[in-house]
Amino acid sequence: MIASAAAVVTALLLGAGLTWAVERLFARSGWDAGPTRGAELRGGLDLPNADRWLLPAGPVVALAGVALATVVVPFGPGLIGRDLGIGLFYVIVVVDFVVLGLALAGWGANTPDSVEAFYRIVAQLVAYVVPLGLAYVGVVMMARSLSTVTVVEAQRDLWFVVLQPLGFLLYLVTGLMQSYRAPFLEPFADSIGGGVLGVTGGWSALLWRVALAGVLFVVAAIGAVLYLGGPSGSWLPGWAWMLAKTYALMALMLGLGRCVRPLSTAGMLALSWKVLIPAGLVNVLLVGGLILLGVGPRA
Amino acid sequence: MTAAFELTAFGVCASIAVAGALGMTTTMSMFRSGIFLMASFIGVAGLFILLSADLIGLLQVMMYIGGFLVMILFMVLVMHDPGGAMMAGMDMAPLERWSSLGLVPRQPSEAGQDGHRQGEAGDQATATGHGGHAEPDEPRQGSEAHGEQAPAHDGAANAMPHEAHGGHGEHAARQHGHASHEHEHGGGHGGMDMGEMDMSMVTPVRPLAAWLALGVGIVLVGMLVLRPAWSVSDALPDPDSARRVGHLLMDKYMVAFEGAGFLILIGVFGAVLLARPSAYPDDASRGARVAVDAKPEPIRGDRLAPQAGADRTAGHASGHDTHHQHGGDAG
Amino acid sequence: MTVPLTAYLVVGALLFAIGLYTVVAQRSAVMILMGVEVLLNAIGLNVVAFWRFTAPGDYAAQIFAILVVTVGAVEMAIGLALVLLLYRQRRTAEVDAYADLKR
Repeated sequence: MIASAAAVVTALLLGAGLTWAVERLFARSGWDAGPTRGAELRGGLDLPNADRWLLPAGPVVALAGVALATVVVPFGPGLIGRDLGIGLFYVIVVVDFVVLGLALAGWGANTPDSVEAFYRIVAQLVAYVVPLGLAYVGVVMMARSLSTVTVVEAQRDLWFVVLQPLGFLLYLVTGLMQSYRAPFLEPFADSIGGGVLGVTGGWSALLWRVALAGVLFVVAAIGAVLYLGGPSGSWLPGWAWMLAKTYALMALMLGLGRCVRPLSTAGMLALSWKVLIPAGLVNVLLVGGLILLGVGPRA
Repeated sequence: MTAAFELTAFGVCASIAVAGALGMTTTMSMFRSGIFLMASFIGVAGLFILLSADLIGLLQVMMYIGGFLVMILFMVLVMHDPGGAMMAGMDMAPLERWSSLGLVPRQPSEAGQDGHRQGEAGDQATATGHGGHAEPDEPRQGSEAHGEQAPAHDGAANAMPHEAHGGHGEHAARQHGHASHEHEHGGGHGGMDMGEMDMSMVTPVRPLAAWLALGVGIVLVGMLVLRPAWSVSDALPDPDSARRVGHLLMDKYMVAFEGAGFLILIGVFGAVLLARPSAYPDDASRGARVAVDAKPEPIRGDRLAPQAGADRTAGHASGHDTHHQHGGDAG
Repeated sequence: MTVPLTAYLVVGALLFAIGLYTVVAQRSAVMILMGVEVLLNAIGLNVVAFWRFTAPGDYAAQIFAILVVTVGAVEMAIGLALVLLLYRQRRTAEVDAYADLKR
């Protein structure tokens, strides 16, 4: 048990570090850096009104959520922390802890900017959580299971991105929202001084950096599992395929996100209710039709 | 799952659940109150998972993290002093002191400065007096916890009049005639200028409520302990219970499932209809809304400390400008 | 199962007592809503504990627990909407200020 926990933490740290490298590749000067903005790593900031319990609890809660989510990501045949029967649902639930941690730190720091960031984070949660669930539902309907391993096996013949392109697009957009990357980086915008990241320093800034890079890594890895067949593939070993797909998806998300003007929180909510949720319902309908027609993996 | 692991997990989850609920009802900060409640629910979710109902446990965590963050947002909108900064310096029962640790009291206006200092000194004295008390208040599993809880409730009940007096002086005294023998405790905070707001978070019936809850708890636990045991079945449930529940939901309990979905739909409609700003010009809520928007109500004695990192104040204004431009373009 | 059924039920009873105290003693409507949530949660814990120990083959109890969670969520949404509406009219969220509603 301890060995598998260490393996999961190592995977998370490696993934977060490589994610950080990919992000640096995509960063340009003059762009709002969002969650990748530089924070003071050497010393803590002096916040006179900060809540002395909630502020340090934030990064720990967020990092715990990301580490727990890594448990069910299959990095290859046998390379999985634990194959849970309700793995995908577990991922949705556990990544919510990142939002909780950001909310704790935003409120706890008690500066006008960080409290504003707390409001934006909660509003962003409301914006993405329903379309994200709908993006999972299409895959779960076809694979007939919530387990990540079974979802990967169901895509042995054909990746789900071919069968459900609409769901894949939906996942790209909601995944960007979930990991706070451009164009959905309003909670970390420069206009509020970086939000939560603007009020952290020292070890908590380091933990935030790992947690925020890790959440993008987990989102991309789960996206690769859901739509790109995960670790399955010929010639190369499973883990190489998984990492290649994860980083390709990550680069696609970051690159596409930088092509669009950043949205305000109200814009995100409007996008969610007017475009993403209807698109998700249409996707569920299309997938149901495909299943009735007999397309997709055999049960 | 070994026996030791199960016992440990049960102890941890049960104490998180009960301590979270206690913290919810005793802390001074509304925000923390929501966070404590969330912790309590996560503890109960852990118990669900321990009972091999993992689907319900995860469902609970998902519903309550998202739901309670939104609820906290509403609390922050609706409450005076949601962060508990004004209450933090006041007289508190030991349990309240424990659950409000680390809150920074906000300095009130100059008029009340002296009285406040005095009151703080008094607080320190009570804190040391009750110092040994605060630790064992955290309840543990089993019926043992019950005996320990009694002094906590007692303390909470006794502290009520202090707090009411501290917050409000004369007005509170009028409200609690039965607590008139506690008058002298109001002195420490008498100088604080709290305006007309009654800052106390609890009603005058709080001692009654504490005794009621204590009585109900004793009766329930007593009945559980004294009752002959239920016939326990040794069968193990299906490890993939999510599949079984799904089949039942879509088959035998379809009507109940659809009914729950319909209930949620009605709830969404009802909430939107109730909370939406009214369009009728003669509606009282519209008048109230316009008045609020035009002239925000100042909170007395509200002095936020200067922002940390003053070096970015310069870039702040320009950042705001560009931000608004972005919003305009996107819209 | 090392931990007996009674232990789970005792946790449920303690949660119920705390929820009852919150509902009676707290002054603000939002806190009362939170107390109701604790009450519902205690009920859900009891339902699931009885399912696991007395009828683990019958999954109807889990469906009942799901319905309890659903009702809790709907209650919270409607309750918050009501509080927000009343707050707009009365400028306070304390239930004592709503006492004239019962006439």
